[in-house]
Amino acid sequence: MTHAIDIRGLHYRAGRSFEIPSLDLRVPTGAIYGFLGPNGSGKTTTIRLVLGLLRPRAGDIRVLDRPMPRQAADVLARVGYVPEQPHLDPTLTVREAMRFQAAFYPTWDHAWAEELLVAFELDERRLFGKLSKGQKGKLMMLLALAQRPELLVLDEPTDGLDPVVRRDMLAALIDYVSEGGATVFISSHLVHELERMCDWIGVMDQGRLVTELPMERFKNGIKRLVVSGAPPAVAAPFSLLSRERNGAATETWLVRGWEPEMHAFFDSVGASLQRVIDLDLEDGFVELLRTFRTLPPRPEEVR
Amino acid sequence: MFRVVLYAQWKWSRLVVTLGTIAAFILPALSVQGASRDVGSPLKAGELLSLVQSWGVLYPVLAAALGLLVAIATWAPDHRGRHVHALSLPLPRWRYVLLRFGAGVVLLAAPAVALLAGAVLATHLAAIPPGLEGYPVALTIRFALAVLVAYAVFFAISAGTTRTAGAILTVIGGLILVQVLASAADVHLDLLTPVQSILLNWPGPLAIFTGRWMLIDV
Repeated sequence: MTHAIDIRGLHYRAGRSFEIPSLDLRVPTGAIYGFLGPNGSGKTTTIRLVLGLLRPRAGDIRVLDRPMPRQAADVLARVGYVPEQPHLDPTLTVREAMRFQAAFYPTWDHAWAEELLVAFELDERRLFGKLSKGQKGKLMMLLALAQRPELLVLDEPTDGLDPVVRRDMLAALIDYVSEGGATVFISSHLVHELERMCDWIGVMDQGRLVTELPMERFKNGIKRLVVSGAPPAVAAPFSLLSRERNGAATETWLVRGWEPEMHAFFDSVGASLQRVIDLDLEDGFVELLRTFRTLPPRPEEVR
Repeated sequence: MFRVVLYAQWKWSRLVVTLGTIAAFILPALSVQGASRDVGSPLKAGELLSLVQSWGVLYPVLAAALGLLVAIATWAPDHRGRHVHALSLPLPRWRYVLLRFGAGVVLLAAPAVALLAGAVLATHLAAIPPGLEGYPVALTIRFALAVLVAYAVFFAISAGTTRTAGAILTVIGGLILVQVLASAADVHLDLLTPVQSILLNWPGPLAIFTGRWMLIDV
């Protein structure tokens, strides 16, 4: 499998307050990779490191098979980026912002940019500084898509936008990906949004990657089990994230890597599995973080 | 690429550049007012030189102000956006800086050209006494160089972070403070004169701003 983004042993520190101690992250080529995490978990910092906007202290970052930040100019010509905060010159009109961007990208698709301008209902004469938050978000998405990038890096692109704008933007994104097979690396803390569109998921917390796996495995692998009669220590075929007693009779286990055939394990240890409760992505995400925060900070243990 | 950078920069600097261009055009005419050929009793050589010299102080001031304001306007949009857009563009950083610098230089050419036009016009209309001569081209070249030096210095300072600007101001403020305290304590310590002579005396980087700025001279 090739990777559009391949990060190994990345170490970054911003002052004394924030650190990414050692990050390994791989975004498969052609995937829509959802990068989940609470605010302040390091998602934006990781994205800025990927794009060469920040310099790591150690580790290797390869984007589209080129080392970053050494070959940043070449890589950025093939990457569309929608930052967390719209950052364009507020004195430029929508049309001028498009012209500005087009001048830097040889792959700029003028015809499609015009189509998106109409589809997003943007007024080309309006100053960027006078646009609403939703309109700014749409323009940023237009600028990123019209470059016809091989990799789209989107940092909470729909944060704070109303559902209609969000749907328009994501529809344009999915259209593009389905046409050309581009890779998307999208960060968000809106779990349901990512659940609908992503095929890979990475969860970041406190500068550490908690997990990284295909969406299906993430969604199906985290379960809440109601168990009775289990011995205090077990060597389970799944990852036992947490174990809480519900009165005297039963316990609730939070597990990862659950498969239906693992049912038999409980009989083998003299326990009884009473219920298997499915968690949606948001519940799974919350439980995963809750557990992660109670564990020693070693991501390989929970991966 | 350069064209879009120039246009974006023009939008930020147009007021400064326009006002600077007007000022540069009328300043030479103001410096020879009263020496017009139409006036019945034209100024004597000494009077004219004194008049031109008194107005001449404004040329370096205008050059420095233009350099400062255009340099600030050059980086303003990038500072507002925390340089995220600039850094995410697909070109090496040095090239982006060069584009920004070049666009500022092109914009600052307008006041220099206006000064040349104003100076040529002023020397043409003035009744210059025998023994004196007009130097519109020399004055313009000096003005253009002074604008360029001021722009380059402030461009470099503005390009830095707030911390960099703060560090520079702290050093300057510290020097002045030490000097003031030394004077108050009656300690013989002269820090400012050596700094001043390094910067302002030839071949110091700011030497171009000193001396007489004469449109008409012997």
